[in-house]
Amino acid sequence: MLPTPLEMRKVGLYMVDADAQSAAMALARMGVLHPLEDSASGQVLQDYPAAAFQAVYHDLNSRFGKISSFLQTPLQAPLESDELVTLDQLQVLDQQLKQLWAQISALEEKIRRQNEKVGVIRQLANSLQKFSSLDLDLGRLRRHGRFLRITVGTVPAENFSQLRRALSLTKFMIKVFYSSEGINHVVVFGPSQQREEVHDLLQSADFRGLTVPQEFTGSPAQLQADLDRQIEQAEARMQQWRQELSELITANLASLQSAQDLLLRARPYASLATVLRGKGGLVFLQGWVPAEREEQIRGQLAEQLQFPFQLEFSEPEQQEFDSVPSLLKKSWLLQPFQGLVKNFGMPGYREVDPSGLFALSYVLMFGMMFGDIGHGSVIALLSLLFYRRYPGITIVGVLAGMSSVGFGFVYGSLFGYEHVVPALWMSPMQDPVQVLLLAVLWGAGFIVVANLLAIRNFFAAGQIDQACYSGKGLAGLGFYLAAFYAAYQVAFNNYFGWLEFALVALPMAVIVHYQWRQSDGGLVERVLVVFIEGLEHIISNVSGTLSFLRVAAFSLNHIALAAAVFAIAGMLGSFGHGVTVLLGNIFIIVLEGAIVAIQCLRLEYYEGFSRFFSGKGRPFEPLKFET
Amino acid sequence: MSGFASDYLGTRLTVLASRLISFEQLIDFIELDLERIMAQVKQRSGYDYDIDAANPRWIEAQLTHRALDEFLILLRPFSGSERRFFQFAIRWFELVNLKVLIRGKFSGIDSSEIEQQLIDLRSFIDLPIKRLLEADDPYEMLRLLETTAYGGIVRQARRMYEEHGNDLFLLDATIDRSFFIDLKHHARFLHDEDAANVRQVMGGLLDRFNLLWLLRYRFAYELSPAKSFYLLTTTGNRLHSAELMRLAKMDSIEEVIAALPEPYQRLLANIGSISDMEMVMEYYSLSIAARALYRRPNLLARTFSYIVLREAEVRFLQALIKGKQLGFDNDLIKQAMGAVA
Repeated sequence: MLPTPLEMRKVGLYMVDADAQSAAMALARMGVLHPLEDSASGQVLQDYPAAAFQAVYHDLNSRFGKISSFLQTPLQAPLESDELVTLDQLQVLDQQLKQLWAQISALEEKIRRQNEKVGVIRQLANSLQKFSSLDLDLGRLRRHGRFLRITVGTVPAENFSQLRRALSLTKFMIKVFYSSEGINHVVVFGPSQQREEVHDLLQSADFRGLTVPQEFTGSPAQLQADLDRQIEQAEARMQQWRQELSELITANLASLQSAQDLLLRARPYASLATVLRGKGGLVFLQGWVPAEREEQIRGQLAEQLQFPFQLEFSEPEQQEFDSVPSLLKKSWLLQPFQGLVKNFGMPGYREVDPSGLFALSYVLMFGMMFGDIGHGSVIALLSLLFYRRYPGITIVGVLAGMSSVGFGFVYGSLFGYEHVVPALWMSPMQDPVQVLLLAVLWGAGFIVVANLLAIRNFFAAGQIDQACYSGKGLAGLGFYLAAFYAAYQVAFNNYFGWLEFALVALPMAVIVHYQWRQSDGGLVERVLVVFIEGLEHIISNVSGTLSFLRVAAFSLNHIALAAAVFAIAGMLGSFGHGVTVLLGNIFIIVLEGAIVAIQCLRLEYYEGFSRFFSGKGRPFEPLKFET
Repeated sequence: MSGFASDYLGTRLTVLASRLISFEQLIDFIELDLERIMAQVKQRSGYDYDIDAANPRWIEAQLTHRALDEFLILLRPFSGSERRFFQFAIRWFELVNLKVLIRGKFSGIDSSEIEQQLIDLRSFIDLPIKRLLEADDPYEMLRLLETTAYGGIVRQARRMYEEHGNDLFLLDATIDRSFFIDLKHHARFLHDEDAANVRQVMGGLLDRFNLLWLLRYRFAYELSPAKSFYLLTTTGNRLHSAELMRLAKMDSIEEVIAALPEPYQRLLANIGSISDMEMVMEYYSLSIAARALYRRPNLLARTFSYIVLREAEVRFLQALIKGKQLGFDNDLIKQAMGAVA
């Protein structure tokens, strides 16, 4: 029996409104329900009873998230409880957090503005330094003359050209005396009568003027000290606001903790807002559940719900298969390979779960291409180091490493040395042609298995015509086997007779006929489509099979690389020899190991999965408790 | 760009350009009922759109999505500075969302209402829409926006808001102004010939915006000549800095129109209101883009022109279909589409 995603049942639960939240919590605790939006009952059950609850939940959750980012230490783990959450509770807490957030946001805005101000003062202080060597009475900048107005300040360089042109429409002038980091330090001067108009313009250009305090009477150094004092004061203010913010959070820790607990319990019911339909106190919930959990669901709901309810389970119908979610059987060993399968796509509900076959063929191919007792052992041992943080890497690495060790014994290869360990079979270099032929045979077997899986998937999905007559179906398999036989006859017996022709032509004719029936459009278009697709079918089978030559090529390459390392090492003294062999082996393990791992994955994805696996399944996403 | 890519792009542009619906054709559609409009749209553009009476926004989304899908196809052959230029140009669509968000939050509109007005831009979205909608006050949203690719534009908008309050025109103009400055900056990195051709099309748009903003700032908001000039964006084809500075000093709309260079003086001579002038200027800037698309050989200028024209087509069609769905009379729809006699 081939592994497939778990059997699913469509569940329909009719209950009274008061029990809806308890049901959501019970189902979330079991993690068994993939909610389903029900269009059929929508005409009768027009209300969404959880919508208001969800709206408040959403606001509360968002505010909680924003405020939590200011927490310096994480909150305690949420309390596990089955206590129901009322809409009032959510609303009260939401109001509290809304007020709290308003205070935090106001402080944040103050800090932002103050920070900007500090930046401006620093720029002005920088401006002032340019005057420090001058014997200039800066008091003039405050004592605006009756006729002349002079202002010193900064303006972003990007605004400068436009500002200069705009000022030319007035009687003012602007002069840059220093530029740094996109800021121009400028002097603006002109007649006092136009100061209002120019002030407005300067403000739009983000001009920041240097303000000379009233008490200032002296040199630039005094003004510099004044600016330093302003920065100090601004920073002290910011520090004070940050402190206030921190105290505000601390003072509201209890509310935040309650919000966290409440949100955890409210989530299951809130997440059903778009699927839970109701009318007049009756509520209907629909979804997909694993068939094996049917009894557990029935029992738990009977225990948790206070009022009578009706629970219906039904098998998915064929036309629903595309929408049934796929839940793969959990397996500690296969988990990392399942991850790689999901990278390509999720198996459809009735499709074969290829994880097991994928794991087996991947590990075997890795060993074939990278067969070496020493290198395999290193990979397996190094993989163990990742066990705590990345257990998936460890599983794949250990299995691939062990496979490499196994094929190392087959090839008699240890750290590239070919004559230390006796080969159980032979070193690939001894007869490369035989190795290449075996790789082609392996590829042919791989493609046949992929074709068989495709046929099985077509039958399971009820696509009988495709299973029998398409290029990926029985006709395609027949053509592939016949073509392989014919190629064998030509290559080894130099013979191609009527039988061979008939064996190849017959399934091809079936495929062409099927494609002809499937295509639409004008005659010329159909002829073109059928011709191109037929040709593509032949080419893809040939190229797919030859693609597996890389299995042999990499096993040869592995030995050739080792030989190159030894050749270089042989030209050096004993120390140099040792270092070269060591570095060479590291190079082979890291670089060739990575290339072989990728090539194996490529063969699996493009020569395997693409032939039998749609990858269009929908992942099973259960309702669950989540913080 | 390789010869193959040029041929591909040229062919694509020719096919897409042949499906564009002209402004005159769109005006003719006003007299038809919705069903016949959609049939005409299908016949000319090849696209079949669904109408959902219960959800007028659905057709707007479909129109935008089709246009964005086309832009994605057109962008494929470009790389480096050319690609970056077009990616930035397409941000024009997202600016609509940015304006909706800023206006909405400053006006205290409910997040769900703001959300309904946003366009779903699919893969073109840079803005963290969900987080922005969740902002409880406008300043929180601005702080968030300042961390996005629109940080510079938003800082200008913040300054304008603090200076003039929630004035929709000023906020929109500030955002558009920064966008055009940045767009012209991106155009600087194109090859000389491409940049010159693209600037020609862009110039028409910039003249249009600068002239209309100048008129509004000077005569509707009564700002000083200097400030009115300062708030304009980068200069275009015919209205250069000196020209705009000269116009800013004038004391009436008539004086400005009389002093405009040709063809603007001729086009605007007998038009009374600024909003009518806006339409004429838009039509003229689109005609420059159409000339570049259909008559010029430069692929970058043709691509840019196509984006400009397609954006306008989407906007006009949205106004037309929405007007028909809401049962507005033809004159009102014509006004919304910017049709002037």
